[in-house]
Formats: sequence, C-alpha cells, structure tokens
Amino acid sequence: MPADMHTRIRDYASRSGEIIREDPGVREAVTGATIAFDQKRLQGYSEVDADGWRRWAEGVKSHTLTHLDRYLAGAETQLEANGAEVHWAADAAEAREIVMSLAARHSVKSVVKGKSMVTEEIDLNPALEAAGIEVYETDLGEYILQLLDEPPSHILGPAIHKSLQQVQELFTDRLGSEPGGDPDTLARAARRVLRDAFIQSDMGITGGNFLVAETGTVALIENEGNIRLTTSLPRVHVAVVGIEKLLPRMADLSGFLQLTARAATGQPIGCFVSLIQGPAAHPDDDGPEAVHVVLVDNGRTDVLAHEHAWEALRCLRCGACLNACPVYRQTGGHAYGYVYSGPIGSVLDPGLLGLHEAMPLPFASSLCGACEDACPVRIPIPEMLLEWRREAQEEGLTPWKERAALKGLASVATRPGLYRLAGKIGSRLGATGVARALPMLGEWAADRALPQPSRRTFRELWREGIE
Amino acid sequence: MSAASRERIMARVARATASRAGVPHPGALATPAADDAVDAFVKRFTSSGGEVAKADPGRPPGEWLTGFLRKLEPQVTGVAVAPDVPPELRPGLPEVAAAQAGAGVSLAWGAAADTGSLILPSTGTRAVQLLPPAHVVWVPDGRVFARLEDALRELEAELPAAVGLHSGPSKSADIGRTVVTGVHGPGRCIAVLS
Repeated sequence: MPADMHTRIRDYASRSGEIIREDPGVREAVTGATIAFDQKRLQGYSEVDADGWRRWAEGVKSHTLTHLDRYLAGAETQLEANGAEVHWAADAAEAREIVMSLAARHSVKSVVKGKSMVTEEIDLNPALEAAGIEVYETDLGEYILQLLDEPPSHILGPAIHKSLQQVQELFTDRLGSEPGGDPDTLARAARRVLRDAFIQSDMGITGGNFLVAETGTVALIENEGNIRLTTSLPRVHVAVVGIEKLLPRMADLSGFLQLTARAATGQPIGCFVSLIQGPAAHPDDDGPEAVHVVLVDNGRTDVLAHEHAWEALRCLRCGACLNACPVYRQTGGHAYGYVYSGPIGSVLDPGLLGLHEAMPLPFASSLCGACEDACPVRIPIPEMLLEWRREAQEEGLTPWKERAALKGLASVATRPGLYRLAGKIGSRLGATGVARALPMLGEWAADRALPQPSRRTFRELWREGIE
Repeated sequence: MSAASRERIMARVARATASRAGVPHPGALATPAADDAVDAFVKRFTSSGGEVAKADPGRPPGEWLTGFLRKLEPQVTGVAVAPDVPPELRPGLPEVAAAQAGAGVSLAWGAAADTGSLILPSTGTRAVQLLPPAHVVWVPDGRVFARLEDALRELEAELPAAVGLHSGPSKSADIGRTVVTGVHGPGRCIAVLS
C-alpha cells in the first residue's frame, strides 16, 4: 500500500467536498455515465431470469470460496499441465517483484497492458517504469488516464469523469491531433500509437475476470479488442489474478460471462472474450511462447477469514453497484482514495487494508440498498457496511465527538419527552443554530450540508394532519 | 519467495475456510435454448453490430468470397487467410501479412446462438482474427450451438492454447460516451453462413 494511501482514504469527506465544489464537471459526467450504465443493466437484467441467474452465481461463488484451497490447487495443476507457469504473491510488493523478475528474465523493454484493477492495486506501472520499461495502457479510457497520470475512477469506464472537450485538448496537446476532433477521430489517433505498441512490445500484462480450475483457463472480458491483442501479439503474457477469481468448471464460465456483461453494460456478452489456457503449442498458433499466472493474496485471505466480509470476495468487478449508488454519482471514484471505490470499495477495502486504514469508507453510504439490488452475486453490501460501522464503533475508530453525539441521540430517541423537546429546540434554531448549540455536532456538520429544519416539528404536523 | 508464499497462502485459505460450512455447488444454470439456433444466432449477432452474409449456393464458395471481399468498402485488395481455412473456402485474392491486410478470413470452430458469439481457436492465428479492419469468418454447417454453455462443454475436450469469442465489432464508449467502432480490433465482424 503506498504510504499516502491512508491519508487519501482518511480525507474522503474533504476530498468529496472539494470535487463537488471545485470540479462540478466531474459530478455531471459521472452522474450521466452511471445513470446510462444503470439503465442498460436494468434492460440487460430484464431480458433474462435475472433473479435466478444472480442466485445461481451467488451459489457458485460461495461454493468456490468455501472450497478455495481445493480449487486453487486444481487450477495450478491444470495451468502447469498446459505449459503455463504459476507464481504466488502474498502481498503487493511480492507481486511487483515477480512481474519485474519475469520482465528481466524475458529481456522485456516494452509492455502493453489490458485494463486491470489488480495491477492498479499492486501499483505495478511505476515499478515497471522505474526499471526503464515502457508501459502502454491500451484500453482507450486507461490510455487517456495514463497520459494524464491519473488513476481510474470507475471499474468499467476508467475515464468517465472526463468530458469530450478534456480529451480533445489532451490529444491535441500530446498526440498532435487536430483541435475539436470527434470521438472517432480521437480514437483513431490513439489506435495509431497503440497499434505500434502492440506489435513492438515484448510482454502483455492483464488481469483476469475468472480462472477456471478444471481447465486452467484465464478468462478476460472486454469490448475494444485490446486485451485479445495484449494476450496474443507479445511473446510473453503475464496474467495477474486475485485468488478469489476461481470458478470450478468450464460449464460455470458461460453463465458468468453473460451475467458479468449484463450487470456491467447490459450486453449479452462482451464483444471479445479471451480464454487463455497456456502458451502457444501448435505450429500454426502465433500466440505467446510463455504464459505466466501470478496469483495474488494481498489481503484477500484476511477478507476470507472475516466472519462477514468474506462474501465481498464474490465480487465480479462489474461496476453495477457504483452505477446504482447515489453517493458515488456525486464524486466518482477518486474521492474514495483507493482503487476499489463506491459501495463495493467501502466493504472490501476495510477487509483488504484493515478497518483502521479504510476509515471512514464504511460511513460513505446512505444505506439505500440500490447496490445490493444491482449486484449480480447478491453481496449484502448495506448489511456489511453496518457490520463495519459496528466494528469501527467497538474499536473506537469513529471520532469521539461523533460517538458521544450518537450515544446522546440514542438516549434522547428512547425517551419520548426528551425527544419532543430536542426536536422543538432544533426546529427553532435552524441548522447552524443546532450546530452552535450542540458543539459536538459541529465536527459532524462541518462536512455535511444540513437541511433547514421545518419551523414546526414533524410531531406537530402529524397532530394537525399534514397539510 | 513464491514457493514459501504458496504454502503461506494455501495455509491461510485452509484456515479461513475450515470454520465455515461449505456451500454446495448449485449445479448447472438453466438457460433457455432457441429451437432454431441459426436464426437465434443471426438475431443476436447482428443486434450487437455483427454482420451476417449468406454464401451463394450456386457458386464455388471461394469464388463467392472473392466477389464479396471486392464489394466491401473500402475495397479489399490484399487478404490474410488463416492456415486452417480449406482450399475451397479461400478467396482468390493476393495474400498479405495480417497487419497489412484489408480483411482477415478465418474458420470458426463453431458459434453460440444465445450470446451471438463466433468461437475462434488460436490455431487459426490470432493476428488474422485481430489486426485487419474487417474480419470475415466462415461458420461451418451444423456448428451453431443453441447455448454457449453447450459449445464450451464440447470444446473442453480439445481446448487449444487460447480461444477468442468474437460477438461483434471492436467498440468503445470511453470518449464522451459516444460509441466508436474499430478501436483496436476489427471494426467489422462478418459471419458467413453457407
């Protein structure tokens, strides 16, 4: 974990405020894109027995996770039988070391990458670049962000927070494109640069959507074709895969390919799916001569051991919960301060990094439940958020003033007379008045826009019959 | 070290799962299978932006393909043809390297109707499937499966090093949420049914 990670997560509230106030285009772009994604998901779900599919997928994933040692061992055996090499990384540093040593062993000077959250998680690009290796992100959105030196803000659309105009200016500046080019022209400019990179690079690095134990298959889903090129043209392919990505059988894969695409974009399947078993063996196969699979723990076994959080490991990284989340829509992913943002990030990050490191993410939600309804593997996100909040409370990780205030609220709320009195006082004082009168609320209110209280209490209105 | 880490990870996984009741595998996912797989494939594939051509039964297929490729916009002069395409299915056009070709010609292992996917083995050379701006794929008679799951079950017995499922042209909406095609892979994906 980079040294500044904790600070970046801890500053969630102030960063969110900053993004909303100082860069309102982000909110506009992210809200527009996520609502569009979410509507496509709803359409995609409506065309199939989505509830049945989601229950099935939840079952397969939970089965795999409760028998994970068996399936990991099976995948390893099968991959090795296919001629691939399997490597195990306990943490991010070890994963980077493995990839760096493979790059050295294969005399790699240039790398093309497919979009992968786990390589963001292990901070791979800076390590490769520090060794003098050229790195090309080849997903169009990731390429834009690489030129800008920004992390992705959404699992699926890493650059959804950027407007067309921002991309036009970037490409004019960096690629010498004509000013004001349409998306087609801009995509062609990126394609020219990246096509050369595909042909010249020695190593392709990807993540993996699934790893099928029975056949040793790394499955990758995409729409652009860049991942197929990344896994096909360079002489070495390295797939960096989290240990939770296992599926038992090839027969399971078909359902998961379809469900992931429907949850993510409403498509029946990604335009391109790569099923990688190992290095090219047949004389007519022009694929890589070496395939390496790096299995990454980096906190996943901690999540697996956790009584409640383990269910978050079912996550397919489809982004459906981000798209459905009214809180994520306000800021995009950057506010969260870690690679996994939005609702899934808020339950996964405390497990991966430790709750202390991931505060206050479990509180970055309104608990509306839209995420759970969207999730293709039915991860009970709101319930898990409450569980993390309870743990945070127990461990004394919430600010003491907030703890005291919540305790106060609890004691007031359970005494009707006191509750009525407090409500009356609050409605007469107004929001700033309340904050002034109750100094312990000041810290809580500083990051929040409080609605103006009604001049009359709800209970008063109720008695009068609501006009 | 990787070997030590393997033992450590496996031990941690075993410990983490030991105290939890095992969840049974729910079995196969029941998905509907269309009665007419070819018809269902055509509908799904074209709705994802794929194109379908029907070879003229009155002409030798290679000759028909030559005429078809000449009529593509922009007109194809040089083609890259996969090594496993049999002589009678090869067009009578000059063969060039995939990176220079106007079109790539492949032979699918099969197709899946429910996802609208062409199933392409890596022995058909990946460069032919990926580099030219148009990809023209022969789909052998009787090889359209109603469901991807059925296709994968059969393919499992003879899996090559890699398999590509192509279900439409290359596309992206990463710039200004506008869909552009032919971003990295072929901008046109044409299935040929005989």
